[in-house]
Amino acid sequence: MSDKYPVDYKVKLVPEAKVHSTAILVGLSVTMKECVKTMFLGDAPTVQYPEQHRKYSERFRGVHILTQREDGSVKCVACMLCATACPAHCIHIEAGELPDKRIEKHPEIFEIELLRCVMCGLCVDACPEEALIMSADDEMSAYERADTVVAKVDLMQRLRIKGKALGYRPRYGDSEKKTEDKVLASGGTRDAGKHGEGG
Amino acid sequence: MPKVTINEKPIEVPAGTTILQAAERLGFTIPHYCYHPHLSIAGNCRMCLVEVEKAPKLQIACQTQVAEGMVVRTQSEKARQAVRATLEMELINHPIDCPVCDQAGECGLQDYYMKYGLHASRVRLSDKVRKRKVIDLGPLVVLDTERCILCSRCVRFTGEVTKTHEFQFFKRGDHTEIGTLDDQPLRNAYSGNVVDLCPVGALTSKDFRFKIRVWFLKTTPSVCPLCATGCNVWIDHHEREYATSDVTHSVGKAKGMPDVYIPGGGVYRLRPRRNDELNKSWICDEGRTGYKTLGAENRLVEALVKKNGKLTWSDYGEALDLLHQKFTEIKAKYGVEAIGGIASPQATNEEVYLFIKYFKEVIGTSLVDLRAGEAWKQIEAREDEILRRLDKNSNSRGAFLILNAIMKRSGKGSEEIIEAARNGKVKALVFQSHDWLTRYPDQAKLKEALSKVEFSAAFATHRIPELDLVHLILPQASYVEKDGSFANYEGRVQRIHKAFPAKGDARAGWQIMAALFKKAGRDLNLNSASDCFKMLVGEVPAFKGLTLAGLPGTGAVVPIK
Repeated sequence: MSDKYPVDYKVKLVPEAKVHSTAILVGLSVTMKECVKTMFLGDAPTVQYPEQHRKYSERFRGVHILTQREDGSVKCVACMLCATACPAHCIHIEAGELPDKRIEKHPEIFEIELLRCVMCGLCVDACPEEALIMSADDEMSAYERADTVVAKVDLMQRLRIKGKALGYRPRYGDSEKKTEDKVLASGGTRDAGKHGEGG
Repeated sequence: MPKVTINEKPIEVPAGTTILQAAERLGFTIPHYCYHPHLSIAGNCRMCLVEVEKAPKLQIACQTQVAEGMVVRTQSEKARQAVRATLEMELINHPIDCPVCDQAGECGLQDYYMKYGLHASRVRLSDKVRKRKVIDLGPLVVLDTERCILCSRCVRFTGEVTKTHEFQFFKRGDHTEIGTLDDQPLRNAYSGNVVDLCPVGALTSKDFRFKIRVWFLKTTPSVCPLCATGCNVWIDHHEREYATSDVTHSVGKAKGMPDVYIPGGGVYRLRPRRNDELNKSWICDEGRTGYKTLGAENRLVEALVKKNGKLTWSDYGEALDLLHQKFTEIKAKYGVEAIGGIASPQATNEEVYLFIKYFKEVIGTSLVDLRAGEAWKQIEAREDEILRRLDKNSNSRGAFLILNAIMKRSGKGSEEIIEAARNGKVKALVFQSHDWLTRYPDQAKLKEALSKVEFSAAFATHRIPELDLVHLILPQASYVEKDGSFANYEGRVQRIHKAFPAKGDARAGWQIMAALFKKAGRDLNLNSASDCFKMLVGEVPAFKGLTLAGLPGTGAVVPIK
């Protein structure tokens, strides 16, 4: 202790017993109030994960979804604008040719490496076909590194597998019903692929 | 020489120059589709309209020749409005299928729209005139008539350059489309050029189709190594070195797979590079697809040494040591004339020079040559009237200039060396490239010579069956992986640039030779191809006064006699 920071001994200390008796009662009353509120009145800020899930906002940026045409084919035409916009270089697309001359192009491989992804949503903004949107799915843990690379079939199935709401997507405010219904309807008709495989 | 003023800048140009050319010299680019510097002027796209003072209407810059005192404005409101109107007309029936179009990123419509248009379309997509798509026009070209703006560049190319007249306009009005009769495939050796010519996505490359978006590509100027003409090319390769995709790569690694390489060794396509004095704006189809061997499965990236009669992997340094050691041994045992070196007319000037210098000065042998058969006598012989030549070596002329200057050799050339090897006089043979082995006309004789010699070595880019008889192979960098220069049939010295580093242990030929010089106790202090070239210029009189960095874009022609 130096003179620079002198202790002011003139301040009168409160007797210890007084502090304890009042403060403890005040504290206990808070605890009890919250206890009653959460236990009996159902006003808990926490959710019982994993049985319960929190409802996220309309523009939550979760795992991506590849939308489909009415016939169940992938809507993406492999223009690679998402891969171009991606700041994390986590989207890998290899394009292939379709016999349908009005569509011409489709992704033969479409992979998103979720460990690299920064969930920024720029890919969704870049997509000219509304083929890549985001879900409200925030569960992306995996046992192996290779499993964090999500392939085309999984991105197309994702909604069906998890049964989650849609997240960030073009015009999420007004026309979301249309897109949502379409994805859900077509997503339900296709078989689920094994997670982490396929292309 | 008329004096004109373009955008308030005066310039004096020779009579007969068009406004577009004069503006280009001043640094103003006038938008255009149908004009091409190496085709006749059609004047049909109307994109290059400019305002000429005292002329009642706007004039097309591509066809209007300059006159004394002419005052031209290319960026006036009137001119810009005309360009915008023309562009809007071109886009009326355009399908706007940029997401699936390979031209996106280098498209004339996209570029000018961003610069001049930026208008909202007044035509509904459903009202557009639909035309035929994805028409197969031979091995290199795909036609989409919907995207065509009818500039007629391809019509003029097949009419004026190849003279095969495949392309023509069909139908009338807004139904007009470009095409070949009955969609017949293009049957000329220069068909790929129509893809580069097409300013929009109507003619796209079948080879390049959907492989990658052009904005992921980096481009490096180079020279086509497939014949003695030495056409200038752009090498379009992946912007990332080694061209491994991050994702595929890490997945591959995680699943225990080896490195994933994109086919073509990272090179996606070759495009002609404009050289008004040589190849104009064209290359042949052979040259265009020549990049494919770069990523071939038999590409060598490691040294191979024969052990128990089988070529097996070797450490690069150990292989180099062994090569040096064998040279010393054979020299001590049989004398200098027991070692023969075969230089390569496909190697760069720098490499040939160092190779010949090594054999002359370090080994001391007189047995160095590069001639194979009779082909070397006709370096200038043409295969057709446009570009291709019969000599399929990139640097025959340069190699001969160097050989003659350093060895002053005459006689039968390599024939003599192979013969001596067959007779057992030559005990060691070294080849500067594997290609020479395939081009030697008498294969049986070559095989006999190779099996007789005590030791043979080759520097190779590819593993070919002919190399099975060789005792030591050093991996060599291909022409996209090294710096250097080639001299074409007329002695035009042109530079090649390194696009990306060679894979594995492969080294440029000059690096291998510089290392051998060092091992022999002669450190030439060579750190780049420029250093080698500087040394070469000192010893080969034809190259006098040149530097590698100072070579002009069109190349420097050296005296060949």
